[in-house]
Amino acid sequence: MKLTAVRHVRGYDVARPVSIGVMLGIMLPLVLLPLLSVFIYGTSKGLGAFWSSLTATEAIFALKLSLVTSFWATVFNVIFGLFAAYVLSRYDFWGRNAVIVTISLPTAIPTAVAGFALLLLWGPYGTLGRLLSPQGTQIMFTPYAIILANIFVTFPLAFGVIKPVFDTMSRSLEEASATIGATRWQTFWHVTLPSLRGAIVSGALLTFARAVGEFGSTILVSGNLALRTQTAPLYIFAKFNEGQIEAANAIAIVLALLSFVIFSVLFFARDWLEFETQEA
Amino acid sequence: MKPQMKLVPDDPHISWAPERTEKTGVAASVRGISKRFKKVPVLDDVSFDVAEGESLVLLGASGSGKTTILRIIAGLEQPDNGRVILHGKDVTDLPARERGVGVIFQSYALFPRMTVEKNIAYGLKIRHRRRKERRETVDRLIQLVQLEKHRKKYPWQLSGGQQQRVAIARTLAYKPQVLLFDEPFGALDAQTRVHLRREIRALLKKVKVPSIFITHDQEEALELGDRIAVLNDGHLEQVGTPDDVYNHPATEYVATFLGAANLLLGVVTRGNVEIGTARLPAEKETRRFRDGQSVKLVFRPEDVCLSPDANLPETCRRLANGVIEEVSFVGSYERLNVRLDLAHRPQTGEPTAPLYQVTINTPEKMVGVPVMATRPKPEANTTRYKPGDRVAVGLTSFSLLPNYTLARQR
Repeated sequence: MKLTAVRHVRGYDVARPVSIGVMLGIMLPLVLLPLLSVFIYGTSKGLGAFWSSLTATEAIFALKLSLVTSFWATVFNVIFGLFAAYVLSRYDFWGRNAVIVTISLPTAIPTAVAGFALLLLWGPYGTLGRLLSPQGTQIMFTPYAIILANIFVTFPLAFGVIKPVFDTMSRSLEEASATIGATRWQTFWHVTLPSLRGAIVSGALLTFARAVGEFGSTILVSGNLALRTQTAPLYIFAKFNEGQIEAANAIAIVLALLSFVIFSVLFFARDWLEFETQEA
Repeated sequence: MKPQMKLVPDDPHISWAPERTEKTGVAASVRGISKRFKKVPVLDDVSFDVAEGESLVLLGASGSGKTTILRIIAGLEQPDNGRVILHGKDVTDLPARERGVGVIFQSYALFPRMTVEKNIAYGLKIRHRRRKERRETVDRLIQLVQLEKHRKKYPWQLSGGQQQRVAIARTLAYKPQVLLFDEPFGALDAQTRVHLRREIRALLKKVKVPSIFITHDQEEALELGDRIAVLNDGHLEQVGTPDDVYNHPATEYVATFLGAANLLLGVVTRGNVEIGTARLPAEKETRRFRDGQSVKLVFRPEDVCLSPDANLPETCRRLANGVIEEVSFVGSYERLNVRLDLAHRPQTGEPTAPLYQVTINTPEKMVGVPVMATRPKPEANTTRYKPGDRVAVGLTSFSLLPNYTLARQR
């Protein structure tokens, strides 16, 4: 039977279910099944086993460390992104485009290279680290190093979300505020910032999601010391290498769920975010 | 549909007008303002005053520099030369927030995340006024602009006209030195525009705050302005009352920008203007010209009077004979294209003599000078013309402008 013969049988478009099927068929082995197997394998020995590997001291520490370091990296990058977006969209200066490209650069750099670069700068024999080590200060192989690495690799994310909103925001709102008598700070606080709320929230979520999962740079700068500098992704890697698949899997489930939640918020909050940025 | 805005009865205890420090009668003054953008001159030595309680319209085509003037007065732009003086105080070097002017932006620029109330209270809030004072002022202003039902709404829930009223109330809250309206009706449809224009005019008469409007719409300018300043390519062509600029335009640009105008070239001779063979008596108008000087005769279509015989009305000065070329009915009036015979001098008692020089049979043979005339309906209905009719043409009023041979010689 020729396909063309069935194409429009009784007004039924065969192309619709076929193309949807093909799309899902491709996604299945590449995305859906790997995710599914994390959940199936992690719970295959019962919820009790899952729970005990999750509540192991090392596991909890790794999760906490990941959340805390990602939190501070997010705080820094959102504030900096906001500031940089303001400066770069409000002032024109020589080399402005070069700065924009530089801010966006860390996304293109392999994370291992980022970690290596941080080591070269802050490590015990690094350019700046050499100056610090005589005072007994050591940044590398501490949680601070993890924050530094997270800041580096998630640097452009919040900026990238906030900058376009700044660019499209009508200047007349800020000008109106100024003619009414507001100082720059009052204008920023009462007029500019409320319009950016949506962009700040989505920028922060993106940054946090990316930082929690960071592996390549963290493994180089943290030293991967259990109960000291071992983040959740490093814990998965370490446990897997030790053959403790269940321990690795429990954390993997938590991380997968976390990113799932964050992306759902981002996705479903889109309408709300668009309302936030729209102008009357 | 559109709520007619009834104004709240006058309360002598409430004044939205700025507190005057000097009694000069001048609210705002722009002195010799010049401005270049990247070496392109935008404003060239512009000066004008706005009197207390007056509304002045800056009228000009797009690119004439009118928005730049407004932004310079508001402090959003710095002039290269010149001063801005508000109520006797030189504010040229003050930032926008210290000038106390109220700008009504074309987009209204209401704060999207604030309600009507909060928008209006903003100026008082950033001035750290007490809550009680804020609430009282907002209450009065909301009443003034008739938005009682909408006080809790957000800007996007309001119509264009309502948003505009919020924008005005928001500036009145801090008693602005002067109100600046940037193309206030540009974003609205034609009907709403006319309606809002009257509302704003009534509101301004009530609050007595001096205002500057900018617009490219001549009808709007004539209706809104106590005085009109016509701006062309960065310089002021004329400042005057609507009657002045319309009936006595100082330049050709003013004449043609404000409504339709006919333009003929002539020469002054002993109290007359000679245009070709036509001789127009103009004792008063020619006084400031010397004999033999080349002039431009400017007159509006409605100033043309036509007669099928020599009997032009008393108020009409005879110009020449002509032939009706086209008659069209344009709604409220009738428009006629007339070709003037300026090569043949009409003798007395020769109103409809053959016009040797005017031929309109075939397009290529068309000679004679075209002018446009309009007649109100009653007149058009009494005396009907059809193409080809011969008429005597006269003028009830006109103005003479010097005809410089070099462009831009003023």
